[in-house]
Amino acid sequence: MRIRRTLLAVPAAAALLLATPTAALADESVHVKLLELNNSGASGNATLTATSGGDLRISIRSTGLVPNSPHAQHLHGSTTGMDFHCPDMSADTNGNGYVSTEEGMPAYGDIFVSLTTKGDTSKASGLAVDRMPTADPEGNLRYDRTIAGADLPPGTIEHLKDLHIVEHGVDANDNDKYDLAGLGESTLAKSAGLSGIPEEATDPALCGMVSGAAAGSVPVGGVATGDGSTRDEATVWYGAGGLALLAALGIVVVTRRRSYVLNRVQR
Amino acid sequence: MTRSRKVALVAAAVLAIAGAIAIVVGRHDEPVAEPPRTAPPGPPFSAPATRSGTDVLTTGRLLPTSEPTRVRIPALHVDEAVIGLGQNPDGSMQVPTDAHTVGWYTKAPTPGSLGPAVLAGHVNYRGADGTFARLAMLRPGDRIMVARQDGVTATFAVNRLDRYPKDQFPADAVYGAIDHAGLRLITCGGDFDDRSGHYLDNIVAYASLVTADR
Repeated sequence: MRIRRTLLAVPAAAALLLATPTAALADESVHVKLLELNNSGASGNATLTATSGGDLRISIRSTGLVPNSPHAQHLHGSTTGMDFHCPDMSADTNGNGYVSTEEGMPAYGDIFVSLTTKGDTSKASGLAVDRMPTADPEGNLRYDRTIAGADLPPGTIEHLKDLHIVEHGVDANDNDKYDLAGLGESTLAKSAGLSGIPEEATDPALCGMVSGAAAGSVPVGGVATGDGSTRDEATVWYGAGGLALLAALGIVVVTRRRSYVLNRVQR
Repeated sequence: MTRSRKVALVAAAVLAIAGAIAIVVGRHDEPVAEPPRTAPPGPPFSAPATRSGTDVLTTGRLLPTSEPTRVRIPALHVDEAVIGLGQNPDGSMQVPTDAHTVGWYTKAPTPGSLGPAVLAGHVNYRGADGTFARLAMLRPGDRIMVARQDGVTATFAVNRLDRYPKDQFPADAVYGAIDHAGLRLITCGGDFDDRSGHYLDNIVAYASLVTADR
């Protein structure tokens, strides 16, 4: 990022000197469609907007999640060109009917950014459920946060379209909460040194794939691409051409008439 | 034939030829036929969520992010440098400060990567015809080549042309989310408002990526 800015600084300064409009960093909005995993019945949409200041604005709207429960959510993937994607049920290698976070990782990659509501956003906060957004009583989740460019791993903005959003938390036994009776204890949490966390809380419920991209900042109104300065030229040329043709015709008529008169006199 | 008569006829011939040339030039300078004004489209179609898996939600080839350097439009005999354009303090898009340069709107995707890349050029500016003077003559299928900083040339094919009143500019259609690598070329058209010094309409050519070559 810093190298890129330095590289851009010289042409940018030159552009300023030439008084041409200045080039900012590319500023775009990536749209992500959140698709259900593990038959969670959830769905959602998200936008990842790279701002001109180098920050990342994240907005997530999901429905159908486990109500009144925190949902750990992350950007998964990497910036090193790995071709990650969202897993299907064939990723369920232990055959328990659920793709766990560990089983999904070969498909969607490791945690890249933890989408917490406040504080640290590194991989270390991946299971910080106290700082993860909570679904309302209807199972709707709203999340909005802008993460400063300095807090993002290098290359995040350039590789926005290569990252995946994953939201965790399913309800296997349909009792509107996470409990050990559903799928037992979370092996992921246990390997991170947290015991007693239900597997339901860490299994993924939604995986987002990039569905489109848009301008990061939409200009107001139309575009002033013309001042009309040549729009009347055709009329001017037509006028001049018409006048010249008329004059030519006039000369022909006058000379012919004169020769006619002369001829009569000569006779 | 008398000498004076000869002179007169030569003068008449010269005038007639000059007149014909002027009319031909006028025809060439005549504003090109523009597409009819298009009603701004409704909200974009959103496909229902499909089953998750390895299926891809985008269509067509996509290139990584890289800024444009040059644009070539063979059908219009256009081959021009591209500069970056931001926004004016009032939020409108900046425009190039000469008739020839084409501007790339920097707050949108780069040409060839996912999303709508936007290029703007003048129809005319300070007494000169602009690079996009004949944009309205583009036809579906016409090619637009955009050279990028990474050395890749992205080739787009024109999908359609639309004309919109500037006060009803369809921001969603032009700048909104799309599932492919798209390109929009914008210039002015329609009637000219002498009081404001601006054209009333914008002409927008929509194109999508077909090939990429290094």
